[in-house]
Formats: sequence, C-alpha cells, structure tokens
Amino acid sequence: MNTKFDPIKIAKLLTHSTRQLDTSTLSALADARNNALKKLSVRSPVLTLSTGRWSHGLMPHSAQRWLVAGMLVAILVFMAGYWQHAQEQQISEIDVAILTDELPIEVFVD
Amino acid sequence: MCMKNLLFSAALLLSLSGNSVSAAPEPWRSLSPALQEALAPLAQQWDSLSETQQHRLLKTAKRYPHLTHEQKQRFLNRLTAWSKLTPEQREAAREKYRAFNKVPAEKREQVKQMVKQEQEKKAQQSASGVPETAKSEK
Repeated sequence: MNTKFDPIKIAKLLTHSTRQLDTSTLSALADARNNALKKLSVRSPVLTLSTGRWSHGLMPHSAQRWLVAGMLVAILVFMAGYWQHAQEQQISEIDVAILTDELPIEVFVD
Repeated sequence: MCMKNLLFSAALLLSLSGNSVSAAPEPWRSLSPALQEALAPLAQQWDSLSETQQHRLLKTAKRYPHLTHEQKQRFLNRLTAWSKLTPEQREAAREKYRAFNKVPAEKREQVKQMVKQEQEKKAQQSASGVPETAKSEK
C-alpha cells in the first residue's frame, strides 16, 4: 500500500470536513481560537529589553511600556551628560596644555 | 504615539542638558580669590566676555593651582592673547596641538629646539636693534 504523506491533500480533506461541521461546533472552535490569541497577546514581550516573566500580570501593559521608555530616556540623558562632561574636561586639559607648553602659543595659532 | 512621546522627551532633555554648557554669567566679583588670581590678566574685560567663554575659562582656571611656577607664568602671559582669539581659531589651535602630540617624541623635540633657536635669534635682534633682513643686506 502506498502511504505517501501529502500535506496539500490533507489540508483539502480538513477544509472539506470543516464545511460539514455544524454551526455550534464551528462557533466553539472560533471562541477557543480567539481566547488563545488573547492570551498570546498578553504574554508577548513589551520590547526586547522587557523585564522578564515575573513582571507579567503585576503591571498593566502600557505602564510597562512607559517604564521601559523612561529607563531608555534616562540612560540616553545620562550618556549625553557624561559625554558632554568628558568633552569639556578634554578641552580644558588641552587649553591648559597650550597655555603652559614650552612652545609659544603662536606655533598653534594661525 | 508612545514612540513620539519618547522621542520628544529625549529631545527636550538633551536640549536641556546641552544648555548646561553655557551657564549663567559669573561677575568678576563673585569669583573665588584663587580663580581671580588665575584669571587676573582678564579682570578688566571679564564681565564683557560671553557666557560660554567664561565657562570654558573657569574650567581651565581650576587647573591653575596645580601648575608649576614656570607654567603659571606662561599661563598668565598667554591668557589675554588666548581670550582674544575667535572660537574657530581656538578650536584650530586645539586640533594642531592634538596633531603635534601624535608626532614621535624625537621629532617633537627637534621642533622645540628649532623654535627655541628662532626665539633666541629674535631676542638678540631686538636687543641689538638691528633687524635680520638689514644684516643680510650689508
């Protein structure tokens, strides 16, 4: 007996048999599908930087988003401030070096 | 919507942190004695300097107490000329200084010797009152 697996044939058979189901069974299946999709959307991560499983259910979805967004902004501001401070330090270091170097200032100024 | 708010907040905070560079102007009288000593050559024009320039000079002057006696003299002698430069000229000078420091130490020393000799020559000329061009013409 030839039992070759043909997924297209199986899909057609399933579609055909679905048409033969009664309305109440179809509606029960649709409800089950919708419920499963709802649960899936709640469990999906907020962002890749989500805090993990423990936080699911503890906070509303939008609050989690705002928390992550706030953290990102805070990190961004901190990094910008740090970068600016480092730049300022570097500039004042060079200024002092130019003002105190053995070489006269005219060497570096056009 | 959330992303728009996030970007707006970030832009606002960044612009606020950027403004911290140009702090409020500091009157000469409000400076500490140590800062007044470091910035003494600029006492007369201090209050007319831009806020940004004051801020930069204050940062620079804070390093003054850690300098040697010789470095302090150079610092004070050059400060007025440095403050008269445009921001672009100062930035160009910083770039040149950075580039010069990347040159091998031996070559840097050679340049220093050349400049030293040139300065001595000029000093001799000004002491004798005869310019070099006049000497070579004779």
